[in-house]
Amino acid sequence: MTRMRLLTGTGIALLLIGGAMQAYHPKLESPPVTAEIQVPDEVKQILRQRCYSCHSNETKLPWYDNLAPAYWIVRSDVREGREHVNFSTIGAKPAAVQRGTLFESVNLIQLGSMPLPRYLAVHRDAGVTPDELVTLRHYLETPPVQPAAPAPAAAAETQFQHWIASNGTPIQVQPEWNGVPFLPEYKNWKPVSSTERWDNHTMRQIFGNDIALEAIADGKIDNWPDGTVFAKVAWLQQPDGKGGITTGAFQQVELMIKDSKKYASTEGWGWGRWRGDDLKPYGKDAAFQNECISCHEPVAHSDHVYTMPIGGAQ
Amino acid sequence: MKQLLAAMSVVLLLSGCSPKPPKTVYPRLNREAETSGLLSWNQRSSWNPRSGRVITSWVNPGGTMTTLYGDDAAVNYARSHADGAYPAGAKLGAVTWKQQEDARWFGGRIPAQVASVEIVTAGGSYARYEGSPLTAVPGDDTQRAQFLLHQRAAVMP
Repeated sequence: MTRMRLLTGTGIALLLIGGAMQAYHPKLESPPVTAEIQVPDEVKQILRQRCYSCHSNETKLPWYDNLAPAYWIVRSDVREGREHVNFSTIGAKPAAVQRGTLFESVNLIQLGSMPLPRYLAVHRDAGVTPDELVTLRHYLETPPVQPAAPAPAAAAETQFQHWIASNGTPIQVQPEWNGVPFLPEYKNWKPVSSTERWDNHTMRQIFGNDIALEAIADGKIDNWPDGTVFAKVAWLQQPDGKGGITTGAFQQVELMIKDSKKYASTEGWGWGRWRGDDLKPYGKDAAFQNECISCHEPVAHSDHVYTMPIGGAQ
Repeated sequence: MKQLLAAMSVVLLLSGCSPKPPKTVYPRLNREAETSGLLSWNQRSSWNPRSGRVITSWVNPGGTMTTLYGDDAAVNYARSHADGAYPAGAKLGAVTWKQQEDARWFGGRIPAQVASVEIVTAGGSYARYEGSPLTAVPGDDTQRAQFLLHQRAAVMP
């Protein structure tokens, strides 16, 4: 009898608390759709069904997401999701940027980071199916109707002549907005791997400093030691006219500097990207590093490093 | 509010119903792209090109990719000259890999097995190694040696 009473009491208390929670129901705005992403219908269909709940201005919540406390989490996720990618406004950006966003989206889906695992845990049917993933990949594998204009060879030539004439004299380079310093010695580090990026028409080399190389030789790559630095250098692709691709104009160099204490708030790494042959720090303020961190989040299990290093560079 | 949200996320995560991430996101070395049989050619050339620094890289028609490395003499020259007239004795090495799709990045191709290693000594020899373990392929290829010596360095400001 007392047990019954206790249960009833707890039930009523929970109902009251639950009811009281509903009182706090901040609005989730639905701004107008100004420039929807430009993709074929079969692709848009998938985006609408799988991504638009959090990544568009056309959020449709099932009834259970409208109940606090779930509503509070969902509202916060939607607002953050729209800030990262908003398919209702992205159409205003250049076609290449829209495509780049879709490549990143496919990668986040493939690596199990999107939809957010905790969102999937509740919304079991929200995940992108293997067939849908094939459709998205197929769309991106098909070149756009108007191929990107080839990188101007003349510009690359001027840049090269200027560079060899400088004969290694270092130029003045500002640190990144987050204070991460530029390290001009990156170009003398050892090779870790290379990538041909057909998604954005670049060629890349990844270099590691001595600490990185030692960790690779020891096979200790699950938690890179403090002092590890990686440099990723990107050049525009330049067709050689015979079916091959050579490295064209220098585009950027990116650094990841490991210091688990100093950079504790940014996943243990200091992030930086310098663009153009004048090595201008990327971004407008320190918030640029959120781009780095969110893109590297899927490989958090590999200490946020995408590159699978090739040993034997000592 | 933020703490409440975080606490609730933790509860959801601990509930254990989150799907597991795919295997590919866990740490992995690209073992298949390592040069094997290093000694068989290392003894003769006494130089491992991947111990050098990068001069440039390119993609070949037919799905292979090459990185050209150099020793100090070669790299220092390549980064300040356009003529490919390296000082005698400077060593260059080209490692060519078959390509594979990057399992971690749809849109990227990365090295798979080594297809060949070529070593050029300026003013001297050309040697080519193929297979796994790498073994010397007999013959001298002056044209190919000249091609490698005349690749311009990739700009690295």
